Amino acid sequence: MSIKSLGKSILVTLPAFFLFACSSTTENTDTGTTTTEPPQVEVPDNVESEEDRMKRLNAEAREVRTVYFEFDDSTVKTQYQDLLKAHAWYLSRNPGVQVAIEGHADERGTPEYNLALGERRGNSVRDILMSYGVSSSQMRVVSYGEEKPANPSHNENAWEENRRAVLDYEG
Amino acid sequence: MKYLKLSFFVVLIFAVGRIEATQSNIDIDIVIEGGMSFARPIAVVPFKYSGTSPQPPHDLSAIIAADLRRSGRFNPMPFNEMPQQPNQHTDVDLEVWKSKGIEAVVVGTIEEKVPGEFTVNYQLIDVFKPQQFVESGDLVTSSEYLLLNNTGVAKSKNYRFYSHQVADKIYEALTGEPGAFATRIAYVTVDRSLQRPYQLYMADSDGYDPQALYSSSEAIMSPVWSPDGRSVAYVSFENGRSEIYLQQIYTGQRSLIAAFPGINSAPAFSPDGQKLALTLSKDGNAEIYVLDLITRQYRRLTRTRNSVIDTEPEFSPDGQWILFTSDRGLRPQIYRVSVNGGREERITFEGEYNASATYTPDGKSIILVNRTNGVYHIAKQDIETGTMQVLTNTMLDESPSLAPNGSMVIYATIHNGRQVLAAVSTDGRFKARLPAKRGEVKAPAWSPFLTQ
Repeated sequence: MSIKSLGKSILVTLPAFFLFACSSTTENTDTGTTTTEPPQVEVPDNVESEEDRMKRLNAEAREVRTVYFEFDDSTVKTQYQDLLKAHAWYLSRNPGVQVAIEGHADERGTPEYNLALGERRGNSVRDILMSYGVSSSQMRVVSYGEEKPANPSHNENAWEENRRAVLDYEG
Repeated sequence: MKYLKLSFFVVLIFAVGRIEATQSNIDIDIVIEGGMSFARPIAVVPFKYSGTSPQPPHDLSAIIAADLRRSGRFNPMPFNEMPQQPNQHTDVDLEVWKSKGIEAVVVGTIEEKVPGEFTVNYQLIDVFKPQQFVESGDLVTSSEYLLLNNTGVAKSKNYRFYSHQVADKIYEALTGEPGAFATRIAYVTVDRSLQRPYQLYMADSDGYDPQALYSSSEAIMSPVWSPDGRSVAYVSFENGRSEIYLQQIYTGQRSLIAAFPGINSAPAFSPDGQKLALTLSKDGNAEIYVLDLITRQYRRLTRTRNSVIDTEPEFSPDGQWILFTSDRGLRPQIYRVSVNGGREERITFEGEYNASATYTPDGKSIILVNRTNGVYHIAKQDIETGTMQVLTNTMLDESPSLAPNGSMVIYATIHNGRQVLAAVSTDGRFKARLPAKRGEVKAPAWSPFLTQ
């Protein structure tokens, strides 16, 4: 299993779980406030609060920081919306956190055009995060074009891994 | 006997020394892949040497022969097949060379008159021009067959450069176009096993004497020569993003030219060296700007809607036009605009992707990267007729750079799973690979004509 396909499987499961967790925690909080009966068993000190649970699930979802693109295309695929929502949720709640969005291209085509293409991919991700409420002052796009491949081989598998934007939290 | 043993010992040491010198002085070889059937048969006879040093610092005749072969226009005869080895034009037997099918012969002498100073005389003989003919009943001796008879002085330090200059003179006498052997190539190497994997190099046009101009732990892109051959501009990621630097070759002095927010990319000098065209995205998307290097004023040249890419500017030889790549029509194509701005005109229509265009020195054609049916090749398009000719048959070709005489294009390609340099003549006939000893090589930039 390649690193990329591993990334894909996490991507499919985690954001869905994260969203589900969000809605269920809201309900639990509501019932928690109406409850009058004291707990029968002593709650251990280390039990996770709902806020912590959300944070933990969000942090797990945000472990995926890469979105992949089609050849010569800078449109973010719909499959990455939940992932970007998870990052936006965190960034909008932590206005002090800065993120660099690194845009990359595969090696096909000219290096100079690819530097601009990498930037356009980074801008696509930035614009989506902004539409989910992240302040533009928290984000900066940096393009590496085809100069920093995730996989330096010269074949189709490498190209798939290299057409990407990576969220790099700073500090 | 003692003398014999000693001389054998000296020769052995010398031979070992030569091998070591070869290993350390060249990183890129040249493997000719095809097109020699069009090359004219000539002969460069080994020059006769006399002097106090055992021999000159380099094999001048071999350098000349290799240069002429590498041009794709000539096929020099191997030394051991030569019917005679004269050193003066008067000793050249035209008939014997003619019978071998040789069109021209180079002969000469090297004399070390002062230690470290070599006086070189070289003569170029056209085998098919008569030495004597009969005119109005009289036998006339002619020197028309003697195309060149030049004498020059080379010092040890510039001996190889001088050898390339001799090859340039011979090339020009035989083709009518200036030679481009006494030039250099700048290129970027990537060796991920090194602490500083990215290196900007400069080597002679035959790959000899590579010198690192800059090394970095971050990527280096897009080197270009200033028209005076004294500096290079390039993109460096040393501060974590693309910035444009100008570096003096002989002092090593570097200056930061452009570091705006967004990308700073694709520098290109104007023919007079006073302006630099470049790509900046500081105003949102990648657009072409012209920087006046004297006043430091920027002028924005293109204005497209958000998310369109305009990049890879390149001046025309007369400095009046700028070629650039734009995907305003969905796919990248080549456009041109006057340096004063105004209407932008699309000039490529064949294939799904055209980029990285550069004018030939006569301004009549452009050399570019063309993608047709998903395949990237170097191509030439006639500006007047729009006819496009694909020049290469290699894989993922990019970064074409023309020799200053317009005869040859050097470019980057993938061969056996590695990025390497390759060369093709601008008529597409001659093809060569330039395999590197280690790592990957890319972004070649051919220098202008040089004087040192």
